[in-house]
Amino acid sequence: MIGLDVGSTTAKIATIENGEVKYRITSTHNWKELVKGIGNDEIISTGYFRHSVPHRATVTEITAAIYGVRHYFSDVDVIVDIGGQDTKVIDVRRNNFIINDKCSAGTGAFLEFVANYFKIELNELGRLHLKAERVPDINNTCGVFAISEMISQLVAGYSKEEVVAGMHYAFARRISFMVPQAETVVLIGGTVKNEGLVAALREILGKNILIPGEPQIINALGALKSYI
Amino acid sequence: MSKIGITALVPPELIFACGGEPFDVNNVVPASRKYPKNKLCAWTAIWKEMLIKKEIAVDSLIVVAGGDCHNALVDGQNVAMSGLPTHFFFYPFDGDPEYLESQLYRLSGFLGDIQFPEKPGEIMELKKLGQMIDMKRSCGKISPAEAFSILISFSDLRGDMDGFRKAIASIKESDFELDSRVALIGVPPIYYDFHEVAQSLGLQVVFDELPYEFIRHGGTDIKEIARDYCNYTFARPLSLRINFLREELEKRKVDGVIHYTQFACHHMLEDELIREGLDYPMLTLQGDLPGNTPQQIKLRLEAFREMLERL
Ligand code: SF4
Repeated sequence: MIGLDVGSTTAKIATIENGEVKYRITSTHNWKELVKGIGNDEIISTGYFRHSVPHRATVTEITAAIYGVRHYFSDVDVIVDIGGQDTKVIDVRRNNFIINDKCSAGTGAFLEFVANYFKIELNELGRLHLKAERVPDINNTCGVFAISEMISQLVAGYSKEEVVAGMHYAFARRISFMVPQAETVVLIGGTVKNEGLVAALREILGKNILIPGEPQIINALGALKSYI
Repeated sequence: MSKIGITALVPPELIFACGGEPFDVNNVVPASRKYPKNKLCAWTAIWKEMLIKKEIAVDSLIVVAGGDCHNALVDGQNVAMSGLPTHFFFYPFDGDPEYLESQLYRLSGFLGDIQFPEKPGEIMELKKLGQMIDMKRSCGKISPAEAFSILISFSDLRGDMDGFRKAIASIKESDFELDSRVALIGVPPIYYDFHEVAQSLGLQVVFDELPYEFIRHGGTDIKEIARDYCNYTFARPLSLRINFLREELEKRKVDGVIHYTQFACHHMLEDELIREGLDYPMLTLQGDLPGNTPQQIKLRLEAFREMLERL
């Protein structure tokens, strides 16, 4: 049995072999490669395309995230899943969840705008952030206006690294509006591989932040675990 | 018989008694496929635009303003300025029956006075049938979608009491599984297939808050109507509405609550207080433009069902 998470930008597969989590990640349109030789009735799917890929059972990303995170951390208050097109905040204790899918600010798409503007790869943002000496204030919570504010900070003399750090803080503030009272917050999703963003989230949220070893495959793993 | 547009709950007893044929202008919105230009809430923006362009044919309009919706008050004035005879109806926030009585007298003056005093009594009989449908639906004897389509029509009785009576009589009964019983509170969803979609995802709506208000009030003359409708919960303080909901949800043994809200609607601000006041797992939805239920809403419904199953 495997867990398959086909999201808006990437597809992931996870299995547990001899107690060890094995996984692979590819882009969404290559998801078929992940399931070559695997029967439909061995697939538990999740993610945006969960109903359109072959499956034995489906589960939403919200439920998958809870099961996946519990594989690593038994005591969880809140899960923040930062995806390419939306961000989900799951209040595990109070049985509640909120999804931001109306506005790009606070989703992976926002950071993609930033990377595109500087013509760099998304995964370079974290490295740049760590070189920043000062952090300019970027107050706009709307993705589009934040970009114009970012440009004015460049004009004002801040470096690329500093402006990227400023954007990470703006992003973290946006996420913090969605996070309820909690002691422990687990971050998942490919976007949290960005150490600059995580540093900003740690500071802004002021909570005990946990990140599983491979945060991008938690939902695939959780889909599997919700079934077995 | 003149056709009287209404923008929210206006006692249909009085409109029929005055010889009018009520028409709830909201009923055309979910299937309208309209994308209005100058909008806050799509409900009011769409009926405003359609009334001004005469795509909804009514002879006059009653706008429920006080105690209900400020967007309707402004969009209603827009319609009034386009030349349609319009009356503004106010519910009392403090529930004062004498105030409501004076409002009802003013309204009957606008409608040309009572000519058919027997109508309110006949409507009360129909509302008893509505209560029956509501009860059978919450026991799984009538599908949530079919019950909703009848209950929501009690605001205007489809403008035709005989036709509506026949529609009620033609409802089919069968047995429905009730795995996850949910209450739908707030304004009705702007998606025309919401109840079917919820059911297909394993959530059975056993209570519709606003349509329940439509079948709950009545009276045989203005005095009685005023005494009863002054408890229309949507126009009253939130604490009263929450207490009322507590009782209804308890009676119906719901597993969870869906609070539907609308983009740019003040009811969204009530969400936090309702969550504090009702001790049930709750899903808050926010809709905007009309049509069928979008994927983002389906994801939330599916996740909510999974959550109820885990409890
Ligand atoms: S949804 Fe809200 S804003 Fe829209 S008509 Fe209803 S009460 Fe008014």
